[in-house]
Amino acid sequence: MSTEAIAEPRRGRAIHFFRQNIGLVLVFVMLAAAVVLYCVVYWMQLQTLPGNFEITSTVNNTMPLVLVAMGQAIVVLARGLDLSVGGVMDLTNALAAVLLHDNLASMVGWSLVILLIGAGLGLINGLLVAVGRLQPILVTLATLAVYQGLAIRVLPQPGGAVPPSYTAALVDPNQPFALVYVVLLGLLWSAFRRSNLGVSIVAVGNDEQSARANGVAVIPTRILAFTLSGMLAAAAGLFLAATATAGDATTGNGYTLTSIVAVVLGGMSLFGGRGSAVGVIAGAFLTTMIVNVLFFSQIDPLYQSFYEGLFLVIAVVLSTMIGLLLRRRH
Amino acid sequence: MRPRELAGGSDPPAIEGVGLAKAFGGVQALDNASFSAATGEVHALVGENGAGKSTLIKLLGGRLHPDAGEIRVGGSKVALAGPHAAHDLGIWTVFQELTLFPWMTVAENLLLRREPRGALGLIHRGRMAEEADSILAGLEIRAIDPRALIDDLPLAQRQIIEIVRVIIQDPGTLLLDEPTSSLGEHEVDWLFKLIHDLRGRGKCIVFTSHRWNEITNIADRITIFRNGTETGTFTEIDESKAVTLMTGRRVEAFYPPIPPLPDSPAMLEARGVTGEGLQDVSLTLHAGEILGIGGLAGHGHRELFLYLFGAQPGAAGEISVNGAPAHIRNPREAVRRGIALVPEDRKTEGLLLPMSVKVNLTLPIVSQRLASLGLIHAAGERRVANDMIRQLQIRTPGLNATAGQLSGGNQQKVLLGRWLIADSRILLLYDVTRGVDIATKHEIYELVARLAGEGRALLFYSSDAEELAHLCHRVLVMREGRIAAELPSRGITAEDIVAAAVRESVVH
Amino acid sequence: MAARGQRLAFLERIALTRDRRRVAYAFLAAVLLFVIGELVHPGFARFQSVTAVLTIASFVGLVAAGQTFVVLIGGIDLSVPWVLNGAAILLVTTSLGQDDRALYSLAVTLGMGAAVGVVNGVAIAFVGVPAVVMTLAMNGIMEGLTLGLSGGLTCGACASYAPPLVANAVHGSLLGIPAALYLWLVVIAVVSVVLSFTTFGRKTYAIGNNMRVSYLAGVNVRLVTVLLYMLSGIFAALAGILLVGFGGQASLGMGDPYLFQSIAAVVIGGVYMLGGRGHYLGTAAGAVTLVALVSVLLAMNMPDYGRNIIYGIVILLLLLLYGREEVES
Repeated sequence: MSTEAIAEPRRGRAIHFFRQNIGLVLVFVMLAAAVVLYCVVYWMQLQTLPGNFEITSTVNNTMPLVLVAMGQAIVVLARGLDLSVGGVMDLTNALAAVLLHDNLASMVGWSLVILLIGAGLGLINGLLVAVGRLQPILVTLATLAVYQGLAIRVLPQPGGAVPPSYTAALVDPNQPFALVYVVLLGLLWSAFRRSNLGVSIVAVGNDEQSARANGVAVIPTRILAFTLSGMLAAAAGLFLAATATAGDATTGNGYTLTSIVAVVLGGMSLFGGRGSAVGVIAGAFLTTMIVNVLFFSQIDPLYQSFYEGLFLVIAVVLSTMIGLLLRRRH
Repeated sequence: MRPRELAGGSDPPAIEGVGLAKAFGGVQALDNASFSAATGEVHALVGENGAGKSTLIKLLGGRLHPDAGEIRVGGSKVALAGPHAAHDLGIWTVFQELTLFPWMTVAENLLLRREPRGALGLIHRGRMAEEADSILAGLEIRAIDPRALIDDLPLAQRQIIEIVRVIIQDPGTLLLDEPTSSLGEHEVDWLFKLIHDLRGRGKCIVFTSHRWNEITNIADRITIFRNGTETGTFTEIDESKAVTLMTGRRVEAFYPPIPPLPDSPAMLEARGVTGEGLQDVSLTLHAGEILGIGGLAGHGHRELFLYLFGAQPGAAGEISVNGAPAHIRNPREAVRRGIALVPEDRKTEGLLLPMSVKVNLTLPIVSQRLASLGLIHAAGERRVANDMIRQLQIRTPGLNATAGQLSGGNQQKVLLGRWLIADSRILLLYDVTRGVDIATKHEIYELVARLAGEGRALLFYSSDAEELAHLCHRVLVMREGRIAAELPSRGITAEDIVAAAVRESVVH
Repeated sequence: MAARGQRLAFLERIALTRDRRRVAYAFLAAVLLFVIGELVHPGFARFQSVTAVLTIASFVGLVAAGQTFVVLIGGIDLSVPWVLNGAAILLVTTSLGQDDRALYSLAVTLGMGAAVGVVNGVAIAFVGVPAVVMTLAMNGIMEGLTLGLSGGLTCGACASYAPPLVANAVHGSLLGIPAALYLWLVVIAVVSVVLSFTTFGRKTYAIGNNMRVSYLAGVNVRLVTVLLYMLSGIFAALAGILLVGFGGQASLGMGDPYLFQSIAAVVIGGVYMLGGRGHYLGTAAGAVTLVALVSVLLAMNMPDYGRNIIYGIVILLLLLLYGREEVES
């Protein structure tokens, strides 16, 4: 290959990356700022820096959100929305509390079964959206109700028990080992993005007509996107059970909207076709960081939602304006 | 009637259609049409909008199935189940509608489903960029960076990528539907060189175009279509004969006489309009004048029209309406000042397709003139709409038929009717006859002439230089965002306009 | 295939356009549910029982009116739960259960709803924040403000009741029909007239069909957008006022069920999620269907989880019914 034929100066790879991934860059900047802010308010309260315990509990508490937000990101990338993730988390959380027993075979076996169930729940969504040609927001709103109902059936009252060894494996309370999972997820995402399915999902999210014209199998792609979301939401439910050490068929509910927040903060457009789940992972951590900051700055916890909502608006407005500025420059 | 077969050379034709018929709804797009193109040949399909060229291309490319007739490739009959079947036979099509992914890079678009792989069978991004680089370099494209997002590229470059994407499939037969419609001069040169190369390598290229100079430049043979069937295939033909075959009438009788330009005051003036690709554009439009805007697509016409209507935020300049300075910040203000815009794409910018003809006709003025305290006068609205339907002879099943049900020509009439109802005195008409059948075109020309006679001012952009030459008092030719030439009222020909569009100066 | 075409042509001729068919289906579904309810639990379709269901449906219907407005331009309002809740709390704390303060507190409460809606609309129309994000954030903001300012509903005034004026308006009845229902009928009439016969309604449908076309035809897209979100805020606040009049006191979380129900009512009523098509009549029928469904399930003594599941399945079935219609046009 000869580069002499190219007469015009090409922009550097870094510049392209920057311009095309401004949302990703922004979320890491915000995350860094939030971490710094957290350290500052923590110091002001306790005259010491956050230690192992704080880091571990932050990571452990964020794990469910990281997983469910990744699933949401995959669906959003294909220009969809999955409102049923909270219900899937409820159900898998309940199942985990009921089914997991304190032996390796039980834990591994049932975990796999639960992941498959999550995939199945996602598959139902995918079939209804892609084959039934229904709007994702409507289908997943309905399946949310169904999955929540099923969760309550499985575990009418909070209870059940998750074996301590399971908790230790997933969300070790003493060390932030869960970070290993985060790194693993990042690598998996990178591989996914470079696979046929990943490219197909991005293509469908960009423009469904063009995707079809280019021979992308739109329907199976959509179905798989929702299936993956269901499976990741199931994994989130497992982590939730591990963190809480017991089951509750309603703790997943809040995660639906929070997963969307993490996706948006992570720089992904809700219209699909672009963005990175790595940003969404950072967005999940950013969400948790904000809560930590609010807690340690001794703001009245009743006002917590206010600041979270305000932060979301400001973050989105900021990123929109920066995006506009960059395009204007070009 | 027996399907006619065209005589071929000693080799079987690369691709042929024999006695093809295709109807959509009640409209017969193709009627006993036959066509044949040989290997190593560049074959142009020419005809008015609606004559059947695009439909033929879609049939030959497997995108549509014929109602009757057969398609032959290399002499043997084929039944194309879909575009993939055509691809398997080496037949690839580049359509006018781009099938690119805006938020993916040029490289990702070019190499979709053929990406270079690395470890674990995953896509290797670095190699993808290199491969895209070498593809573009091999085709002597220097100005496009494979790492750029499609959305960042101007329309002309996007069209180039669309074409490149097909070229790298090494087609035996290449079908191009209006390939030059969005291309600038440099890009057109590049494309013709490419076509020339392909022909030299024994490929068959079929393309449709409206631009006569391009056609004579590159085509070996020309087939003229009219009303869904071919009217002749030629290796050489002069333009007026071609136009006659295309339209079925003599050129001169086709355009109505335009009223003489009175000595009238300026109704709309623009000074120093700059931004969004425009460079210091100034013009003056008088009452009773039809001022033509010409030039190749993509040179600022669209932005100029949108700016004059208050819909182009990135551009700035000075505007005066009827002598008084005006600050038109949005279309609402433009409408209030009596300015109207018939936009480029009537389906996505002009009409509300799912809503009724009545609603589309009265939309700009329904608050001001057809309602009190917000309540719409139903009877009054119906009367106003019916009057206009009668006046312009809009063919519609009824007032409440949706705009989407009407033919292209009638849709355009609805748009014009809207602004006549609004009593706009300054009309900005952007390619108002694009995709309109011949009979309606004639009606629109007569309407334009009549409106000018009534003292309205019309700014008339057309991609058809013939129209400009015959309908306008003056023509301003735009090139690269500025007014490159002004051609005066007497004796303009289409050649002059085209010449001015491609050269800096014109000798007159 | 041909038979279906003929059937459609017939329906079109008697002016039952696809949109009107959806409204008809929604009403049919509601009627069907009452019939099923009567079969399962005799006495379900008694006059009093029906009016009780309709009264509850009116609360959903009010919130859904606001939701209808914004969905018609392709938007959505996720801030409904805490605007409603905030309004309920604002009403009781500013009126302190007294009639002489009633008008003032009604004005303040509705004003709050309008203000929230305007902020939503401005951010969406002028700044370009996606509706999902903005209204979601606003919900959080309203939740925080409401909880914070009321001390988690522990403030002194928080335990006040709604002013008797409001309570009576909700509980009172004429000819055996609750006043709240009359109010809803008025709302249905007004909203339907606005959407179908006014220039504002015309512009709303135009924007929902194609924003660009509307802009280029001189419609003030931004202003209409802001007004529509303002209306949504006002209706959410109004629902909060009526709910607290109905229940007497305000509680936390009283607005939460109304988000899902308002969206579901809009969908069942045949309003198109991407905008441009649909009538409030359909939404009203959808609200009745939803509440009737829940009531039937309650009458069948179905446990909590079963209600959820059947609820979701019925909605999916209704969606599939409409979904097929989408394909054939």
